[in-house]
Order: sequence, then C-alpha cells, then structure tokens
Amino acid sequence: MTAQLEMEAVNRRILDRRAASRGLPPYRAALIPEVTEILADYFAREVPGATVSGVRRVGGGASKEQFFFTLHRGDAAEPYLLRMDPRLAITETDREREFVLLQAMVGTVPVPEAAWVDATGAHFPQPAAIMRVVKGVTKPSSASIKVTGLGTWLGDDLRAKLRDQFMDHLVAIHGYDWRAKPLPGFDVPDADAKQAARWSFNFWRELWRIDNGQTRPIIALAEQWLADHLPDCAELVVTHGDYRTGNYLFEEDTGTVTALLDWELARIGDFHEDLSWVLMQVFGTIENGTFRASDLFEREEFITTYEQRSGRKVNRETLHFYDVFAAWKCYIIVAANGMAAARSQHNHQDVLLTFLAATAPMFADDLVRLLRQGDQA
Amino acid sequence: MIPSVDERLASIVRALTEVILPHLPPEASLAQEQAQLAIGHIQIIRGQLDAAPAYEQEELADAIAIGTDLAKAVSGGAKTTAATKALAASVAGVDSADPSAANLRAGRQAILDAVEQLVRAVSVDGDATGKAALRATILDQEYTRTQKDRKWFAPFGFDSL
Repeated sequence: MTAQLEMEAVNRRILDRRAASRGLPPYRAALIPEVTEILADYFAREVPGATVSGVRRVGGGASKEQFFFTLHRGDAAEPYLLRMDPRLAITETDREREFVLLQAMVGTVPVPEAAWVDATGAHFPQPAAIMRVVKGVTKPSSASIKVTGLGTWLGDDLRAKLRDQFMDHLVAIHGYDWRAKPLPGFDVPDADAKQAARWSFNFWRELWRIDNGQTRPIIALAEQWLADHLPDCAELVVTHGDYRTGNYLFEEDTGTVTALLDWELARIGDFHEDLSWVLMQVFGTIENGTFRASDLFEREEFITTYEQRSGRKVNRETLHFYDVFAAWKCYIIVAANGMAAARSQHNHQDVLLTFLAATAPMFADDLVRLLRQGDQA
Repeated sequence: MIPSVDERLASIVRALTEVILPHLPPEASLAQEQAQLAIGHIQIIRGQLDAAPAYEQEELADAIAIGTDLAKAVSGGAKTTAATKALAASVAGVDSADPSAANLRAGRQAILDAVEQLVRAVSVDGDATGKAALRATILDQEYTRTQKDRKWFAPFGFDSL
C-alpha cells in the first residue's frame, strides 16, 4: 500500500462501498408502513413476543433516516430510535463503529444506550442501528428555525449552564483509556508520529476524488498545503469527530446534558482535530463582533480552558493545521459529498443537500483567511 | 414571454405554500421540511434568476484572470513549466464567441483543473519565486472571488456576511 492511500481499514471499506454504489438506482425515503413492517419482522426474530408501535419520523439532521418507535415487551413500553443510512449520505460512515463506541463510552460521558445494530443492511434496507431514546433537545425551543447545529443560539442562561459540561465531556472523551479498554475495529495510527494526520487527510482527499469534487484554486492550494504540513501527534486519544452544539441533548429547564450524539466520525487520533472542529466559525455565533464557538466559548477562552481542564498543552502550529483541515473537510462535505448524493438521487433529502451546499463559499473564504496567516496561527 | 419564468415560479411557490403545505399531516415532518426548503430554494432562485448569466460570465472572467496571472508568474522545473503551458492553453482555449452557459462552465472548469495541476507541479519542482507567486496570486484572487460567492449565496441565511 502506498503512503498516499494509507488509511484506517474501516475508511477504506467506506470508500469502496461509496464508489461501488454509484450505479445503483435512485433511493427514496422510507415510508412509515414500510419501516413498521421491517421493525416488526426484525424484533420477531431478535425479541420474540415483542411488538412495535408508534413509528414516526424524526425531523432535522442532514445525514440519516431516523424514526422513533415504541417497543412493547410484556407490560413494558420503551421508546427507541432507529438510525438508518440512505444509499449515499453527506457523511459516509459505519454503523458498527458508532455502535461500538457508544457502548464503550457508557460511564465516561452521557450517551444513548446502543441496543441493536445491523451494520451491513442484512435485515434493514440499509445499514442501521437502534438506540434507546434519551430526553432532551439539541437547541432551545425559542431558537430561530435553522438546520440543527449550524450557529445554534443558546442565550446567556443556557450558555452558563452548558459550557462547563461541554468542556468536561470533551476532556473525558479525550481521556478515555483506549489501551486498557480497546475499541474493536478502531485502528491505532502509531506507526509514526504523522500517521494520525495522514490517515485523516488521505480519507478526505480520496472522498473528494470519488465524489468528483469540482476544484477551485483555494481548494487545490489548501490540499497541497495540508499534504506538506502534516503535524506530529504527541498523544493519541479518542476523538469525537463532530463535537459541537447541536450534537448533544440537554434538558431545557435545568441545562443538564443528557447525551452526546453523532459519534460516527470518532477515531483514535489527535485531540487538536476535535478542538479545531469545535472552533469552526460555522458552528458558532457572532455577537457584537465577538465569536463564540458553539455559542459557549470565545476562541482563546476555549483553548486555555481546555488546557487547564485536560492538563494538555495545545500546540498552536498543530491547531492551525487542523483549523485548515476542518475548513477543507467542511468544503468537501457540502460541495462534494452532499452534492454527489443529491446528483445521484441516492439520498432522501436532495433539496436539503443542495441548500447546504450554499455554505461552500464560507469554507473557501475560511481557507483564504487561514492560509493568509502563514504556517502558524 | 407569457408567462414569464418568474411568474411560473411564483405560482409554484403559492401552490406549495397555500395548498400543499397546509394539507400535509402533522406527522409528515420530512415532507413538511422538504416543502419548506423547496419554497425557500425557489424564492432564492427568483431573486437570482436575472443575474445568473452575468454571475457565470464573471466566474469565467475571474478564472481567465487567475489562469493568465499564474501562467505568467509561476516558474520552476520541467513539471511546473509543462503545467504553466497547459494552463495558458486552457485560457487560450476558451471560446469567447459562444455565450452559452455550457460553454462558460466548461471553459471555467478547464482552467480551474489546469490550476490544480499547476499547484501539484509546483509542489514537485517549483522554484522559490514560483511557489511564492502561486500562493500570493491564489490567495489574493480567491479572496475576491469568495467574497462574490458569499454574497451570491447569502440569501440562504447561513452567512453573516
């Protein structure tokens, strides 16, 4: 295997699956009666005697088809969530991997209980996972209507209640002892100091190629800059991969975080990758000219608080690399991955994916701003 | 043109807004979301329709400008030299007599693909002057281009520009 193609084994399988799916017929959104029947058949085998009722679609989100349902076992009626992949998604991931991580994180941070998984789509039309429903919201009920997580406004009261939890949970994730409690299916990039960065870079670069991303000069320049500046990873940790407001549930009255969501991009890698993702401008808010990451922390405040709570030192040069990487990756997600799914009609939300693609110039502009800073922020 | 394109789009928006959306059952959340997004898309298209041809012409003009500047300014070894020649050829290959949208898009993409190849070539054997010129030219001209793009897509509501 050449260095250019080197990546985590699960990501190679994901890329192969994505490339192979091109010739498949269009995908359409599953209908409630169809999902009800599939679930009933599944539980007839998995939990004999159980019945399913109340199947309803979950709104929001840009990636999975999601349905709430109630599972009846004897006198018990328990709410569950079915997460099912469309044929092509704006982020291509692996259900088994998310399932493994959710089970591993129990006791470390609040997560939904992972109950069943069909990683290959053996029973469900597409790969699927089922988890227990957790109470909470991803944004205040008074928030303006937006796609969840993009610039969610929390307000002063919730901000005060959530910010310590947000930081503590991130530090706890990064503190997970993956050597003592290994994560099946998670490869460890420890062959050399740059392997963690190289695996991430290779995966997204190849995803861009597979989805026929239409180049522009700043994207070409950013890709080459990233290839030339892969940083050393001083400490390998579990990263969440999509840590931000919008990807956790909280009780609106108390401000208590009840579950961290969307673990599908988690890996063993460099904690700076998570920090830069949190600090992406698109996931934050700007009030009177002041930027707040996830509407919780100003940039320097976030970095120094992370250093204080984690005991780690943030390497500014490495952080700058991952700032560039995050903007480049976001551009790939919205301009290549989302648009490929929409163009091929392999997704149930084409109209949302083309809507989200309008954010691409923001990420291109981020790249101009970041690369103008030179090699170090 | 009767009906005009805008009049037709306006009638579709009205049908979606006042006839179709109110008749969707509350539990049809995906259908409601997508109908609202479709309405939003069409409203933005209505606002951009008349300006779209000029926008694409300007995209091509900007591609020609950056392609021309890079082909002149970037220097290096054999790979870089070949890539600058290919870039210059892609600029020269634009058919300025054909105003069709397909021609504008194909001409622009050919230039941008050639710029990408130049970026790769410079990383292999570009000289110091060539590397600096490549970086400065792309950052300067893409700054201008991204401001135009952000302004164009601002009606989607994501950008605080």
